[in-house]
Amino acid sequence: MLEILVGLITLSFGAGLVGALSGLGGGVFIVPALIIAAHMPMAVAVGASLISVVATSAGASVAFVRDGWTNLRVAMVLECATVTGAVVGALLAGIIPAVILEVLFALMMLQSAYFTLSKQDDVLVEHGDPLARRLQLVGDLPDDAGNLAHYETVNLPAGGALMVVAGLMSGLLGIGSGALKVIAMDYYMHIPLKVSSATSNFMIGVTAGAGALVFLARGDVSTAIAAPVALGVTAGALLGSRILPHANVRILRQVFVVILILIAIEMGWRAIQGI
Amino acid sequence: MHTQAAENEDRILRLWTPILLRTILVVAAVILIFGLILMTSKPDFYVGRFHAAQAHQFAEKESFPELMVLAARGDPHSVMTLGLYALTLVPLARVAFSFLLFVRERDYAYIGFTAYVLTGLIVGMLLGRMG
Repeated sequence: MLEILVGLITLSFGAGLVGALSGLGGGVFIVPALIIAAHMPMAVAVGASLISVVATSAGASVAFVRDGWTNLRVAMVLECATVTGAVVGALLAGIIPAVILEVLFALMMLQSAYFTLSKQDDVLVEHGDPLARRLQLVGDLPDDAGNLAHYETVNLPAGGALMVVAGLMSGLLGIGSGALKVIAMDYYMHIPLKVSSATSNFMIGVTAGAGALVFLARGDVSTAIAAPVALGVTAGALLGSRILPHANVRILRQVFVVILILIAIEMGWRAIQGI
Repeated sequence: MHTQAAENEDRILRLWTPILLRTILVVAAVILIFGLILMTSKPDFYVGRFHAAQAHQFAEKESFPELMVLAARGDPHSVMTLGLYALTLVPLARVAFSFLLFVRERDYAYIGFTAYVLTGLIVGMLLGRMG
């Protein structure tokens, strides 16, 4: 028993560590790790991953919220979209064949790899559109000189639409869909990247929580797997967030892109074999 | 621009949300670790559960009262399941807290947003229980 337990905790610790260092979250790595290394079916890996994603999101959000990086109002508005997608996704996950989920997972990993390589500088908007202003989706963040730079937001409907997709993928695949969420906020709504990342991380808790509740209530979460995985991923993510400020992020990103592409190929190959 | 009322709401949320998140996270982690320690007294049971998960032959669908009774008797599986439920409570609790704050401040737009999210989380759980 101890070998299995230690193996699962080590595997999930590694996934949490890599997830935190890459900024993509543990879910993207723990699902393939459980499928490939622990020989778990997709549904079991997704259920365990969703719960661990809730834990890592909560752990990382504590500092981001306290220090003012998270835009709480943006998160609360967009969570309406992600929760809708996540509940539908988690319900569909019980019906859709594993082969299709594996193909979707491989595609999401490639999208995450592309996102990691194509991060660009912020374009701050000083005057947001009327809807965003009415909902007070604005904020301030410190610039390089230490002064507060004011930003407002635009394109809430487009950002919201992409958030529904992010939620759907989260519920279906057991991931936080952080890359999609950041694209919705950074690219479409012109929210600064650091704020987008912190807000995405905060929202991931609710998105994954919605999916996790569906899985738990349906009896599709194996406690023997989910409990050690949640503890391992959270410990790995906490260590990763401490190492990150001292790490060479550019080199790390390139390494993780290679890892993501290799996992995408492996998941795609498994799907082809399953057809 | 932020209004005075919105700034006040944000200040309260920034103060209490991290406390709420951390507290529930720690409680859930303690319950999970306790469950795992209990599980070491039943190694064959754990190995059986692990292999059942590999074969996807399990349906862990005990009701909440059943879980509470079994956990009180020291059943490791029930203790760990309660720990997992406690973890999923983290987002639910912080949305509920925001909802109550907006109700107090009569911020109707955000009462609507947080109520929708809360409803979504609860409906998801009910649909999962039915499915």
